[in-house]
Amino acid sequence: MKILIADDEALSRRLLEKTLERAGYEVVAVENGRAAVRQLCQSDGPRLALLDWVMPELDGPGVCREVRGQQNDSYVYMVLLTSKESKEDIVAGLESGADDYLTKPFDADELKARLRTGERILHLEGRLVEAREMMRYKATHDALTSIWNRGVIMDLLGRELMRSQREAGCTIVLLGDVDHFKSVNDTHGHLVGDEVLQEISRRLLLSIRSYDFVGRYGGEEFLLVLNNCKPQFAEARAEDIRKIVSSRPIQTLAGPLNITMSFGLLLSDAWGVRPVEELLNEVDAALYAAKAAGRNCIRVAKPPVEPEMPLVSVREPAQHSR
Amino acid sequence: MTNPNPKSNESSIDFPELLSRVDNDRELLLDLMSIFKEDFPRHVRELTDVVATRDYKKIAVVSHTLKGMLANLAVTRAAAAAAKLEQLGRDNGGEPEIADALGAFQREVLSLLPEMEAYMAEVQR
Repeated sequence: MKILIADDEALSRRLLEKTLERAGYEVVAVENGRAAVRQLCQSDGPRLALLDWVMPELDGPGVCREVRGQQNDSYVYMVLLTSKESKEDIVAGLESGADDYLTKPFDADELKARLRTGERILHLEGRLVEAREMMRYKATHDALTSIWNRGVIMDLLGRELMRSQREAGCTIVLLGDVDHFKSVNDTHGHLVGDEVLQEISRRLLLSIRSYDFVGRYGGEEFLLVLNNCKPQFAEARAEDIRKIVSSRPIQTLAGPLNITMSFGLLLSDAWGVRPVEELLNEVDAALYAAKAAGRNCIRVAKPPVEPEMPLVSVREPAQHSR
Repeated sequence: MTNPNPKSNESSIDFPELLSRVDNDRELLLDLMSIFKEDFPRHVRELTDVVATRDYKKIAVVSHTLKGMLANLAVTRAAAAAAKLEQLGRDNGGEPEIADALGAFQREVLSLLPEMEAYMAEVQR
């Protein structure tokens, strides 16, 4: 494990360095507090630190305060090295954000034991972060297809529509539905149906840019949000996506299946400022029209009149990263 | 004035303690002594200078550094003398007290470097 030693005194630094190298640590040694902060705030910087209290430029407690103030992704376990033994000093050191302190000259066994405590805490923190990330993923992604779930794709749609309005741009909203999906389930079973949905999700993801979004809107319905688009290319882009889905059979447990999708398409710039729900109803109607037109095609939602002045504003969505 | 002079035959360095501190690694010990030989005289000169200019804050800082170096090498009496100077610097101690403490410190470290040289020569032999 990587550990930082910050001590302005060469002899003490060398003694610590050697002691810790012997204990199996990968040591990074610096001579002052500023350099210590720089090291500890790097994304791959050490997460264990031994900081001398008295140092030029920035002292040990100062380093603790700066590191704690920077809200790093990973916790840094900091031990102050001090010859100060008064209760007030120790309290001040710990209140600066240090996790522990050791008095100098240090006892090697005690030093190693305290660092092991730090390692245990860092290990525990790592497991908690992992669990939190797993929960965050599960809360935002569809369990079957691993694309955004309905809640997130709706929020992302709201956010992109707001952005389009602000920047006078155009967002393409595509609502797709797998053709005859019920018969896939009825004929081959739900496991095969799941395979179809997973492969369609994969193909949809491959068909969009890294800054576009795709989410599972319902059972076999998918919502795509393509931002910052040129309206004249919208239908061609939607066609490309439709073709990518149906270009080749999907390999399933029941053998290869020819699957197609129908899409409703809406260009945000043609609709002015409307509530998200209203736009979704319109694109849903366009999808219905595509189904009625024989499926495996695209229909565009056209506004009945010219865009109006804003009547109702799009609701403020929650923030999500892709 | 107090007389903290060690007995002439008594070593300034607590060698058993020092060896235990470096885990009996003689190579590391020589390394530390080399650093000490290079840095220590510079810090002592700096201490003399800041005492002469009555810069109390710096007296405390330089004494603190010396105390740390000496304590790391188990030079306990000299470390205690440096600690006294550090405290006097912090407390803006009186001029005579600081002069006394400096004298005591200098007497403690007088035989330190020759003692270290002799030890290094013996180990390297």
